[in-house]
Amino acid sequence: MKTVKRMDLALVERTRNRKKFYRAFSRSMRVLFIALTIFFILAPILLLIKISVSAPQDILTQHPPFLIKNFTWSHWRKVLAAGHIWVPLWKSIVVATFVALSGIIIAAPGAYVISRLPRKIKYGVLLAIFSTRMFPEVGIALPISVTFVRWGLVDTNLGLILAHLIKVLPLMAWILTGTFDSIPKDLEQSAMVDGCDKVQALAKVVLPLSLTGIAAASILCWLESWNEFTYAVYLCLAESTLPIKTYYYVRRGNWFESAAYAVFLTIPVMVVTFVLQNFLRNDYLSGAIKY
Amino acid sequence: MKRTLRFLFGLALLSLVFSLVTAAAPKSIKVIMGLAEEEWKVMRELVFPAFEKEHNVKIEAYQAEAQDTEKILEARVRANRMDIDLIAQDNMRLATLVEKDLVEDLSAFRSLIPATVYPSLVEVGEFDGKLYFLPYRPNVEIAFYNSAKFAQYGLEPPANWDQLFEVAKFFYEKEGVGRVAIKADLSSCTAAHLFDFCRSAGGDPVVLNDKGCFEAFMFLQKLWPYLSPDSKTANWNFMNQHIATESVYLGQNWPFGMNVIVKDGGKKEVLAYHGWRGPVKESHVLGGEVIGIPKGAPNKMLAIELAKYLISKEVQEVLTTHNGWPAVRSDAYGKVAAWQQPYFDAINEALAHAEARPNLVYYSAVEKALNEAFRECVIEGKPVKPTLEKWAKYIEDNKR
Repeated sequence: MKTVKRMDLALVERTRNRKKFYRAFSRSMRVLFIALTIFFILAPILLLIKISVSAPQDILTQHPPFLIKNFTWSHWRKVLAAGHIWVPLWKSIVVATFVALSGIIIAAPGAYVISRLPRKIKYGVLLAIFSTRMFPEVGIALPISVTFVRWGLVDTNLGLILAHLIKVLPLMAWILTGTFDSIPKDLEQSAMVDGCDKVQALAKVVLPLSLTGIAAASILCWLESWNEFTYAVYLCLAESTLPIKTYYYVRRGNWFESAAYAVFLTIPVMVVTFVLQNFLRNDYLSGAIKY
Repeated sequence: MKRTLRFLFGLALLSLVFSLVTAAAPKSIKVIMGLAEEEWKVMRELVFPAFEKEHNVKIEAYQAEAQDTEKILEARVRANRMDIDLIAQDNMRLATLVEKDLVEDLSAFRSLIPATVYPSLVEVGEFDGKLYFLPYRPNVEIAFYNSAKFAQYGLEPPANWDQLFEVAKFFYEKEGVGRVAIKADLSSCTAAHLFDFCRSAGGDPVVLNDKGCFEAFMFLQKLWPYLSPDSKTANWNFMNQHIATESVYLGQNWPFGMNVIVKDGGKKEVLAYHGWRGPVKESHVLGGEVIGIPKGAPNKMLAIELAKYLISKEVQEVLTTHNGWPAVRSDAYGKVAAWQQPYFDAINEALAHAEARPNLVYYSAVEKALNEAFRECVIEGKPVKPTLEKWAKYIEDNKR
């Protein structure tokens, strides 16, 4: 009897150990996976930073060192001293910000209405909106640019903002429809029972709860506009955007200054992402409704 | 009555002053060029001001790469709202501009081309007997080599195909990996290289199934195993990188490589020479830029004046001295910087063997045929003759 009990205890202990091992193993695998993912995402950026602050002899060799050996600011100094970076930077910031803002203003009401449509109609409408993204950009950029040239929108921020909206509005509508879908209709109805009218229910209940989705849509659309290339080539001649300016540097072959430009290009992206990620929380609706 | 007369007199005076002011205000002329920062500086500080002063005009010059210039012009021509007056365009990308009717016929201005301009540079601007582009800047590929590595093994840069094969084989056997590269990324860069190889063997790459082309492709098939694996990614851009990072010791590229590899990269051991000859002759594709006037340019005559100015002796000398560009005319002598001189000599030597590519509206078919034939014969090792016959037929079909 005692032996059986001891055997049981040993079995329990073994099972517990095995479970502990599996838990530790799965945790370390998860950490390893996250570390690898982060490494693959950050490696190109680190490489760019390294090239932009390294002396040529560190880079132009058969076996470049892993770390920076001969640090120099000279490539950055050249880029900044030339002064060609500020106008494109400002233009890109203005255009991307206005695209994100006007995108929200246009897409949010539309997305709210779509999300409250009956399911069958809703998907039809969403598909119709997304069908505009089926055409390759290079195919439609020319006819659109021809129209914009006729309207005198070349070299204007307005022209570029309108062109970028063609690209980002379907994306915004889709993301925001999903966001409004996740907000139960009952919440609005409860607000109305408590004395809110329809507009107040939207402004005081739906809008604050949809901030997460709006922030996500804003980041994506800001980035889409920031990186946009095709329309910018057609519509910007006197004042190019920062990606176009970087592309010209890359085309002309100076690797170190191109790397400095490319790093510079990522700085506003990081700032915007860090600012807007504060809104990206997934606990907004927890406990909102009790059934 | 007196008051009315006084009013009319005042009005007339005012309009006279206004017309004088507007007549004195400089007009502007819009120009598109694809230049590096240092080259823009030379243009803005040393070239444009004299023209602006003489013609009381402001030159608004914008940066655009050759393929983007096509897009910019096409949108404006289709919208019937042309605001560009002059373009300086890569001579390898002219057919599309003519085919899409984006540039003016300049045949009437042929007499503006000075007699001292190299005739082959005029040919590249002609399509079906009409002159669409004026010569502006010649360019040619030169061979860059790592002199330290060549000296280490006691080698000389190859002067002909046999030596090229020997050098490639030597590096492969010594280092276990090929160190000689050709541009084999199957882009227009590869096609330009194939023009050189075929013509050097006496072939015509537009025909493709002649004796010279067979010989060139057979040689490339023999050479391929000893070439650097970086050949597959080498184009006008990455060739510089491969040479600068010493993964390639010998490769041909455009002269701007000297700025990237030597001036910016500090690789002073990378030298250049004109390249190698084939069994029949030495041949290099003539590159460079030409001047075009977009269809419907608002200031066409002023643009013609600017074109005339840009190909003048004094401007060509400035461009040679400060940008290191070879001159478009034989009577312009600039003095390049001391470090540039050996590369400049190589360019001039290569230019002596430069041949323009034929201006064909079906050129894209020729390029595709050359690249596909290269892939099948050289990379995949298929027999040369039937493969070239197949692709020669493809060119013929597209010609019709």
